[in-house]
Amino acid sequence: MFTVGAFVGGVLLLAPGPAHADGDPALGEKVFKKCSACHAVGEGAKNRVGPELNAVVGRAAATVEGYRYSKPIVAAGADGLVWSEDTLSQFLADPKGFLKGTKMAFAGLKKDDDIADVIAYLKTFGGPDKAADAAPAEPAAEPAETAAGTPAAPEMETGSAEAAAAHGVLHLGRPATADEVAAWDIDVRPDGLGLPAGQGTVAQGETIFAEQCASCHGDFGEGAGRWPVLAGGQDTLTRERPVKTIGSYWPYLSTVYDYVRRAMPFGNARSLSDDDVYALTAYVLYLNDIVTDEDFELSKDNFSQARLPNEDNFIEDDRKSEPGMADKTEPCMSNCMAEPAGVSMRAAVLDVTPDADNEDQGAGSVD
Amino acid sequence: MTSTSIIDSALQRSRRSFLKSGLAGGAALMAGSAAARAAGDPLITEIQDWNRYPGDGVDAAPYGQPSQFEAEVVRRDVPWLTADPISSINFTPLHELDGIITPNGLCFERHHGGKAVIAPADHRIIINGMVDTPLVFTMEDLKRFPRENRIYFLECAANSGMEWRGAQLNGCQFTHGMVHCVMYTGVPLRYLLAEAGVKPGGSWLLAEGADASAMTRSIPMDKALDDCLVAFKMNGEALRPEQGYPVRLVVPGWEGNMWVKWLRRLEVGDAPWAQREETSKYTDLMPDGKARRHTFLMDVKSVITSPSPQAPVTHGKGPLVITGLAWSGGGRISRVDVTIDGGRNWRTARIDGPSLPKALHRFYLEIDWDGSEMFLQSRAIDEDGYVQPTKDALRAVRGVNSIYHNNGIQTWQVRTDGMVENVEIS
Repeated sequence: MFTVGAFVGGVLLLAPGPAHADGDPALGEKVFKKCSACHAVGEGAKNRVGPELNAVVGRAAATVEGYRYSKPIVAAGADGLVWSEDTLSQFLADPKGFLKGTKMAFAGLKKDDDIADVIAYLKTFGGPDKAADAAPAEPAAEPAETAAGTPAAPEMETGSAEAAAAHGVLHLGRPATADEVAAWDIDVRPDGLGLPAGQGTVAQGETIFAEQCASCHGDFGEGAGRWPVLAGGQDTLTRERPVKTIGSYWPYLSTVYDYVRRAMPFGNARSLSDDDVYALTAYVLYLNDIVTDEDFELSKDNFSQARLPNEDNFIEDDRKSEPGMADKTEPCMSNCMAEPAGVSMRAAVLDVTPDADNEDQGAGSVD
Repeated sequence: MTSTSIIDSALQRSRRSFLKSGLAGGAALMAGSAAARAAGDPLITEIQDWNRYPGDGVDAAPYGQPSQFEAEVVRRDVPWLTADPISSINFTPLHELDGIITPNGLCFERHHGGKAVIAPADHRIIINGMVDTPLVFTMEDLKRFPRENRIYFLECAANSGMEWRGAQLNGCQFTHGMVHCVMYTGVPLRYLLAEAGVKPGGSWLLAEGADASAMTRSIPMDKALDDCLVAFKMNGEALRPEQGYPVRLVVPGWEGNMWVKWLRRLEVGDAPWAQREETSKYTDLMPDGKARRHTFLMDVKSVITSPSPQAPVTHGKGPLVITGLAWSGGGRISRVDVTIDGGRNWRTARIDGPSLPKALHRFYLEIDWDGSEMFLQSRAIDEDGYVQPTKDALRAVRGVNSIYHNNGIQTWQVRTDGMVENVEIS
């Protein structure tokens, strides 16, 4: 185990590392998707925003050729830091706590199992146990960062005539890598397509909601100011003032997962883990009385069993069957009304038009 | 006989035989008060500063701005409409504009996570899903495809949405200003899709933005392959940041929310994705509690932009130009009728300027105003024969909770003093 004091000002080891049972490489491959925005691993992996990770387990820190490391990790490596399962576990649990000043922006993996699994996955690309039969790590052919210090784009076959000829008519653009598609393709459909592995309980969601969501949506999803109301409103859709919430209006739970993952919390999008989003989605079900048990755990496996009550009330666009649209008769041009027109309603009565000294509020919404 | 043809025939008569006297008569009419006639208008009789001293040189404004006297011609927002200006809307000042093209800086803005700032060199567009080859395009790649120039209106589905329950906002800018019309330069979307190769069964397309809301909408593949553009210019110059710089989707005739800005991803699939903006929003709640979804098309619509509450009649009775805009997501406008008596009698207005499918049309009706109260309305008919309905006809079918797709006929009351108010009549 690497210890504090071996070098100055870098590593902080305040707690023993998480216990690591034998991880599952298959599960680790899914966990690694979180890493793959920056790190490549496998045959031909190159340095990207982060260094390539072939044979990282057992490797001395800061030794991948051509990758421009931050100063703290270079110092740690010089002082003997080796990425054992122990040190990697501690680093992945709390990157900035383990290695102060690291430029790895990742917040860390919260679950010990995820850490064990991702390390098991990384070990399949070489490591102390099977270094002999591991494919040698591809030497970095080109520096991963430009002289100016900005991250280089992933290595691509952009210039290759054969690669270009492989697609399309004009052969413009280049094939997207699986990692690139995975980084952006986070949409989830009602049939569950796109749901990531993971799970979260109502109780976990309540904690996250209080910290990250309640300031706008209210403690119970009642909405603050004009921020969206998330809960309640059942049986109001035919009333004068409908309250359209996830429980009363939204047709599909997948939309909640998809939207929270891509755009929430407002002002810090993409900051929630997949498990956090499962927990929040479970909590929103709880706020709407669709589940009642605080221990209820929503996961990829049971997601499609949760249905929202208003699903069947959505219909396809049938505007063209309205009398006014179905009937295209020539409109009246003269003597169309028996009596002269009279005013039945004035905007000035409401007086909600914005100007310098008018702060009244009107009805309606544009979103 | 229309006002314009009266003027033309009068001109011909005067050129034939009454040239001198005709012009003299015209001059007498044009001059101001009796006092001004006697002493002369000082703006004419005295030499003005701008006539004596040189103005700024060509180096003063490398990117030109409107005249300082047009400072009131700006987009405005309605603060109470939304929780936060970062996810909000402002409105095009339609009452100040003419023709069919909206100046870039006046096109209304609607975004859901603020304006993204993206350097073109850092922008990527991915096509993935049910395609033969998932692809990445740079902006440079995009500009190597054949391009088209097309003029289209863009209307938010919620335009006039605050008026469902009755007259509420006193200004054409606020009742109808979620619309603009510019010339886009872009690549037909089908060219990009052909490059990736759409697989059999690929019947829907998800468009995604790169902004902090990662805006997404599902678009039927038929539309994507028809007339959608991936546009990088508006009115000849780069897209404005608030319009999706460096690149946006153009979905002609369909609701503005689908025109995804900061476009970064196109995914092909075999079913719609039921994203937030096509389930909880942009669905139209009917009186029986059912909600229409996939209400993409923007229906035939028109509005008189002047006179209107923000553009009152200040010149008294006599010649008055009534003008407005008409548009339809279904194609061209074939006719616009205007009434000054609240719909008892209608006259067909004159459409001037280009008449292009899915673009704004400019109409005029020149009248000799007798100074009495008027109830102005316009009624558009599109090339498919759809007639713009009254608001009451819409409410009879849809109730008042639809929010979206309010294309009802607008009424402006012009009072005898020339002031104008948003009213409803019966």
